[in-house]
Amino acid sequence: MTDAYVIGAGQSDFGSFPSESYRSLFDDAFDEAIDSIDNDFDTDEIDEAFLGTLGVGGRQLGLSGPAVTEHLGLHGIPTTRVENACAASGYALRQAVMAVRSGMADVVLAGGYEIMTDMSGDHTKWWLGVSGETEWERLSGTTFAGVYAQMASAYLREYDATVEDLSRVAVKNHANGAQNPHAQLGFECTLDDAMNAPDVAAPLNLYHCCPTTDGASAVIVANEEAARKFSDAPVRVAGAGAASGRVGLFQRDSLTRIPASETAAERAYDEAGISPADLDFAEVHDCFAIAELAAYEDLGFCERGEAPRLLREGVTDPDGDLPVNTSGGLKSKGHPIGATGTGQVVEAFSQLRDEAHVQLDDPNVGLTHNVGGSGGGVTVHVFERVDGGDL
Amino acid sequence: MSAMSGLAAMGVYVPHRRLPAAEIEAAWGTSAPVDRAAVPAADEDALTMAVAAGREALTDWDRDPTAVTQLAVATTTPPLAEEEFAPRIVSALGLPSDVRTETATQSTAAGAEALLAGASADGPALVIVADAPGGDAAEAGQRVGAGAASFLFDGDGDATLLDSTHRSRDAPGIRFRERASESVTGLDITTYERETMRELVSTAVEELSIDHEAVDAASLYQPTGDIPHRIAGALPYNGAAIERGTVVDDVGDAGAATTAIGLVAALAGSEPGALTVAGFFGSGSSAVGLAFETVTEISADLAADVESGESVEYTAALRERGTVGKADVAGGGAHVSLPSWQRTIPQRYRLEAGRCPECDAVAFPPEGACPECHERVEFEVEPLSRTGEVVAVTVIGQGGAPPEFVELQRRDGPFAVAILEVPTAGESEGTARFPAQLTGSDSTAVSVGDRVTGRLRRIYSVEGVTRYGLKFVPR
Repeated sequence: MTDAYVIGAGQSDFGSFPSESYRSLFDDAFDEAIDSIDNDFDTDEIDEAFLGTLGVGGRQLGLSGPAVTEHLGLHGIPTTRVENACAASGYALRQAVMAVRSGMADVVLAGGYEIMTDMSGDHTKWWLGVSGETEWERLSGTTFAGVYAQMASAYLREYDATVEDLSRVAVKNHANGAQNPHAQLGFECTLDDAMNAPDVAAPLNLYHCCPTTDGASAVIVANEEAARKFSDAPVRVAGAGAASGRVGLFQRDSLTRIPASETAAERAYDEAGISPADLDFAEVHDCFAIAELAAYEDLGFCERGEAPRLLREGVTDPDGDLPVNTSGGLKSKGHPIGATGTGQVVEAFSQLRDEAHVQLDDPNVGLTHNVGGSGGGVTVHVFERVDGGDL
Repeated sequence: MSAMSGLAAMGVYVPHRRLPAAEIEAAWGTSAPVDRAAVPAADEDALTMAVAAGREALTDWDRDPTAVTQLAVATTTPPLAEEEFAPRIVSALGLPSDVRTETATQSTAAGAEALLAGASADGPALVIVADAPGGDAAEAGQRVGAGAASFLFDGDGDATLLDSTHRSRDAPGIRFRERASESVTGLDITTYERETMRELVSTAVEELSIDHEAVDAASLYQPTGDIPHRIAGALPYNGAAIERGTVVDDVGDAGAATTAIGLVAALAGSEPGALTVAGFFGSGSSAVGLAFETVTEISADLAADVESGESVEYTAALRERGTVGKADVAGGGAHVSLPSWQRTIPQRYRLEAGRCPECDAVAFPPEGACPECHERVEFEVEPLSRTGEVVAVTVIGQGGAPPEFVELQRRDGPFAVAILEVPTAGESEGTARFPAQLTGSDSTAVSVGDRVTGRLRRIYSVEGVTRYGLKFVPR
């Protein structure tokens, strides 16, 4: 079995773009991904595509994947649209890795796209909060923020944690995102700002919630031979873990953890032959501040209840032992649902090639963690720097 | 009337919020027609109030709800102008599916017809009178209230219906509601109206074959507090007897329900041998007189709901009633179909969970693979308690509600949504968790660890169809 490598990764700007379409945004992401490939690369090399989207707004509900690749001029290649809510493109990447490792394809495009901000207020309401256990969660009046807020209420009750700890996630991620020209909310915020914003779903306030976002991202995955040919510094997919969980938060044994994250991480670490202590950085799924705290614990960065300490001590700051969300995370960079998973890979790819906006000192191993809904589907990928001579 | 069943149990439900006269007077610069009026919450209607009152009577009764053979409901404000709502009451109260149901409506005297149907039923009969009329805010809207009363007829009972009388007169224009309107109105021809009400009700009551000098309490038609006294002017009842059955200054004009709630109040605390009279009036016009004799002392706590309550401001009352704040959210998207909802009614009304025959785990909702052993099993029905503990909770801020709840939020404000942990109702061990909306004025202050209990409320309406289900109120 060949390994799979990322040889190119790019994203569109994340934000609100009334004059763009899901296809034009994906064009931007694709162009950036192709530009990031070190050597001459003809897009005819791409054998297959897996593209993630939830399909917010219902626009092109059927066959949006082929609509994107045909628009790009990748004429005739097989394209599969992947839907796993906010983890759609994490799963698209997983499909690409499987296609390459199996030998069915040499070079595969993985990516995602979402347009969320071009609808009327009324229409938007119908398309948010659709990835929980709809019959029970949404029809009790819960929103997407509401489910994570319920998680936060249980976490604050169970552990020595406060709203200030939630706010520290916003401060850190905004500081990182302010350096990222693609970020939707690319500005810094103070702890005071993040403590005193209006409530969205108590205890979560505006600064504890990601925005709604238009955006696209694209990753080029290659087998060993193609990686050697087209890249001087390919990034190896060392571990690909994924897991499903009960779709409703209320259906799980614990309200303060996401079991599918734990399982997906175990599988990724096992395959990569590493432990969390070997990580140099991580991009975790911080759709809401509580999600970043839960991720630290689910991914084994610390013991249960220790996540607030990591934030208070700056462990996950860029100059800490395990920087998290140097891209700005979903909080600052934005969260275009289907584009988020491969968007995280753009940051991992950049860090491991020393090209990031908040560049860490020579990182070798990084992780991306992509959660669908409140934990119904999760992917965790471990990426490793490959020294040119080793490949 | 020896075939009649006796009154074995009763119940009352009045919405907790009350609009005081001072608010009405400040808003309109007039003197208010009632001391205060009950304001139904945005998620309440005649059906939810009927269920609340019906539960009171069933709880007060010494038999199981499945023993009920007849349900008679009365209201002038059924949730829909056409479509039965009694089947939803049957389902919510756990009455048997072969129960005979009938609905009396179109008149404030409807409650009397339901009471007579219940008293003459062959088996145990539950009678519920529930109403929440509306009216132009400057006119009838100043006095309208809401509430419900329930009566369970079974065997000899604690009180016996001694006699009933009827009167009819072709006298229109006193109180009416045009088709497709939610507002009751009248021509406001004062002398004509008062004379019709007084004459019709007092002659009906006078005809009752009882010793009128011995009557202890009477509930007479009461759109405002002065009318019962005007009616009683022609009767030998003293002021105290009328006061015992007059609730309109606490409840407001609750349409068909006011006289029925007044009857419960009149019977409450009565001693063996006491005589109680009800005089119903239906515009158009008709009157019904009923006379009861108490056999066994009746609990005085029955009408406690009438006198409690919490004052609200006028704008809050207008919002809760839907005078302002109605909304229809355009568009569509992820949508739960009506049949999907209907399939889960046993869970939404009665919290029917499932017990896994393989591993004994409790599943809610009881469908799909077992949550513990992940086997595909046929769950055994395992009802949950209606009281449980909040294990997670949030408050959905104003403007943030899902589309189905936009109108509720406009009218009722931010609402809390919790995950509850609830034990099974029976002897066997086990708990289940489910998400549920909290309701009531203290509900947004609920925190993890608090205890809450279930109430049937309107959940949401889409395409004209209202979904009902349990919400939870702080204990």
